[in-house]
Amino acid sequence: MIEHFDPRQHGRDLGTPAPAADGAPVRLEIDGVAITVPAGTSVLRAAALADINIPKLCATDSLEAFGSCRLCAVQVEGRRGTPAACTTPVAEGMRVTTQSERLARLRRNVMELYISDHPLDCLTCPANGDCELQDMAGAVGLREVRYGFEGENHLAAESDDSNPYFSFDPSKCIVCSRCVRACEEVQGTFALTIDGRGFDSKVAAGQDQAFMDSECVSCGACVQACPTSTLMEKSVIEAGQPEHSVITTCAYCGVGCSFEAQMKGDQLVRMVPWKGGDANHGHSCVKGRFAFGYATHPDRITTPMIRESIDQPWREVGWEEAIAFAAERLRAIQAEHGRESVGGITSSRCTNEETYLVQKLIRAAFGNNNTDTCARVCHSPTGYGLKTTLGESAGTQTFDSVMQADAIIVIGANPTDAHPVFGSLMRKRLRQGASLIVADPRRIDLLKTPHLADAQHLPLRPGTNVALINALAHVVIAEGLEDQDFIAARCDTEAYRAWRDFIIEERHSPEASEAITGVPAEAVRRAARTYATAGNGAIYYGLGVTEHSQGSTMVMGIANLALATGNIGREGVGVNPLRGQNNVQGSCDMGSFPHELPGYQHVADATARGRFEAAWGVTLDDEPGLRIPNMFDAAIEGSFKALYVQGEDIAQSDPNTQHVEAALSSLECLIVQDIFLNETAKYAHVLLPGSSFLEKDGTFTNAERRINRVRRVMPPLAGKADWEVTIDLARALGYPMDYAHPSEIMDEIARLTPTFAGVSYDKLEERGSLQWPCDAEHPDGTPTMHEVDFPIGRGRFAITEYVATEERASRRFPLLLTTGRILSQYNVGAQTRRTDNQVWHDEDVLELHPSDAEVRGIRDGDWLGITSRAGQTVLRARLSERMQPGVVYTTFHHPGSGANVITTDSSDWATNCPEYKVTAVQVEKVSRPSEWQRRFDDFDRRQRQHLAQARDAALQATEVGT
Amino acid sequence: MTLDQDAQLVRMVNQIAANLGGGREPDEAADGVCDHLEKFWARPMKRRVIACLDEADNGLAPLARQAVEPLAERQAG
Repeated sequence: MIEHFDPRQHGRDLGTPAPAADGAPVRLEIDGVAITVPAGTSVLRAAALADINIPKLCATDSLEAFGSCRLCAVQVEGRRGTPAACTTPVAEGMRVTTQSERLARLRRNVMELYISDHPLDCLTCPANGDCELQDMAGAVGLREVRYGFEGENHLAAESDDSNPYFSFDPSKCIVCSRCVRACEEVQGTFALTIDGRGFDSKVAAGQDQAFMDSECVSCGACVQACPTSTLMEKSVIEAGQPEHSVITTCAYCGVGCSFEAQMKGDQLVRMVPWKGGDANHGHSCVKGRFAFGYATHPDRITTPMIRESIDQPWREVGWEEAIAFAAERLRAIQAEHGRESVGGITSSRCTNEETYLVQKLIRAAFGNNNTDTCARVCHSPTGYGLKTTLGESAGTQTFDSVMQADAIIVIGANPTDAHPVFGSLMRKRLRQGASLIVADPRRIDLLKTPHLADAQHLPLRPGTNVALINALAHVVIAEGLEDQDFIAARCDTEAYRAWRDFIIEERHSPEASEAITGVPAEAVRRAARTYATAGNGAIYYGLGVTEHSQGSTMVMGIANLALATGNIGREGVGVNPLRGQNNVQGSCDMGSFPHELPGYQHVADATARGRFEAAWGVTLDDEPGLRIPNMFDAAIEGSFKALYVQGEDIAQSDPNTQHVEAALSSLECLIVQDIFLNETAKYAHVLLPGSSFLEKDGTFTNAERRINRVRRVMPPLAGKADWEVTIDLARALGYPMDYAHPSEIMDEIARLTPTFAGVSYDKLEERGSLQWPCDAEHPDGTPTMHEVDFPIGRGRFAITEYVATEERASRRFPLLLTTGRILSQYNVGAQTRRTDNQVWHDEDVLELHPSDAEVRGIRDGDWLGITSRAGQTVLRARLSERMQPGVVYTTFHHPGSGANVITTDSSDWATNCPEYKVTAVQVEKVSRPSEWQRRFDDFDRRQRQHLAQARDAALQATEVGT
Repeated sequence: MTLDQDAQLVRMVNQIAANLGGGREPDEAADGVCDHLEKFWARPMKRRVIACLDEADNGLAPLARQAVEPLAERQAG
């Protein structure tokens, strides 16, 4: 069921959730007002829809009705008693009374009992102005509390301040269970419970522990659900109630949650996930809701800086001087080394409009196609693989589609950590009974979903994805489980025949591939049968699919499996890449790749290129440019001399750090635009201050192709939004760009990109969000792709030969390292490391299986040297049975950890996406940091000094001036 | 450095050939590899790998060589 944004329901709490959309209409009368609602609607909701607001406390429309507070009692003609409106469904011809003397007395009595055990410090309470208990006391006309506070009560209950972002003050608790239900129903963690009975009932985290010691993941759903100040954001306790708010889009992961940024002037007081957001429907995670403090962190770069060489201190300058310095250097380098000696990298963290401008700057003003984006190192194989098989470089579904799935395969993804809000939705579906199949070397947390009945885990060896997907497809064909009608109607016959002949070969059988993958043949057969016969089979995958030497092959293998079983083109099915960063989809869509103009139009396509040439007034190169790893190789070789990097930290995030460092050190001009002095900026000659997502207008496109508005809530700290900086640089290079507002950039995108033809800011304002393709045929966007046909006509099966990676375990490097993320930190950590999220993960550790530890004499917490053919780093050991023996795991959130010092330059054959997920390593106990780490610390210290000196010098100059 | 770069490009073409070689006739596979290089590789990379054809021990796998030869013709044309 696709739930569309409904602007009429902004900010209203209708008391209980919407019933299934297909409910038959039911007519009833409430306080004499006739109303028709779908069957299954509660009386409380029906009344709210008629603008009749029945008092309530335990009911809220994000949670199922509970019926505990009895405040919403009503009278129904012909029925006895006073039923709760929240738990009473509407019935045909029903006549309801919501206000009467009897009800008023009843409600006052209920409120009187609540208030008899509630502190009366309303004036100094942090919830003052935003307290449902206070509102209800007013609504029912409570005038006296006869019971007094002499008896037993909870007023002295102690607060729990252990969580860095919210406090728990049980003295204010009315035990309405909204927090407990939010933790269960919305988040799916089940960390909270009601402990005790009767008067002793109280909300407890975990086994009656402090919040931080429990399994709480700090998503904040309980804080949002709390009607009093019991669970309250510390930022509100400190600042008081916000005075205005702006709807915007989160800048963390590819889920793209909508938030209400609640403000006091230009101070952000809290982020509240917005119910009107079609990606998140009012839910969020610890990053999006709480970790926004980085935006105003003292480390923010707010003044442009330049220097002649990287061993010199920075010099703070004005915007004009910095831009002129950068432009002059770029021109001089091109004059000496040729047009192709410079390039740029667009950012998946910046907006669509900003990304579009950077690639336009490169193609039109630099005059070459040396543009790339960090999707190179994450989802470029998705672009290649899905375009080849399905004809479009994007996922096929909405997030909500998972609620219709009967069997869910998750491959190389960890949604509860990396895409938490979608992870919660998936868990909800799993609790309803959908089957789960996880293909992952690690036992990910999704497998530990409470109330999950029957999960299948296929713990394959890293690097053997293609062998596994081929085995699954082999079973489908060999056992006759394919959807012949779908294949005949929708797929290319010749390609199918060739693929069928290939996949039916015995060497692809689970029995034959067991020796490669390590997964028992019977488990593979069972998984294939589950997926093919469940009804709706949906596949979700992440970087554990793409970041391999056969990333692109694996993406095609996934598409083959979906095509063969007819699991494409309707709700509940599909091929769903879970995107890492907020705007990975958008940065790909916007023409960041060196071979594709916006909308995935190849540079060699003369018609498409001609349209861009006409609009931009330049001749464009018809040959692809260099990809990021090719740029590094060319820089080291000496043919590539200058790079403009917007909002990406290649020095920390790209593989084989020492190779990247050598490349960056070889550049004659590195221009970095970022909000912090990141690792890459330490190699830069020009540092241009970036703006956070709070400081500009634009759009992000999430993993479900949903274009969401980003709205400015505060002015840019350095005076300019990123798109304005790119325009300045273009102008300085003699290529003026004329835009007064990002909406004008979007208008240009719409004119030149067929899949965006119907997108405009006005339309986004009206619809809330739009899923591309959005054109004349689909004016309101396309939630589900490929319903009738494919952009290439028929689906194309692709031959997916398994080719073993060159990166394999040997005597010298007997273990396989794989990398991943953790919930509280985000990618290179530049943002989350500058927030209290540090309390959950302040260092990267190496997880290894106890048996691998034992033979090496390693104990939990020991310092370990991890060595690969690329380099060595030192991390602390954590023994974990989530790992299979022979496989070790780490995260890459802290620069000094040097996780990418060990990863190699091995990459995907089609796209050069690095093989982060497989590195052969050895580990041993050590007593001091690695040589790289000592060098890193030294370099880091020097570069920080260079920054501090620049700031001191500027400060002195100001003092002299005044 | 230059030799390293050549070796890297040869390694990449061989990898492409290994992945596009399976389950196809040799001519069809070579076409596929050549198309891939044409579509995704930057001009300087194409030039470099074409130049490798002239070196006796360039390390190109048979299918890779079979793909780079027509690439040279297409680029010249």
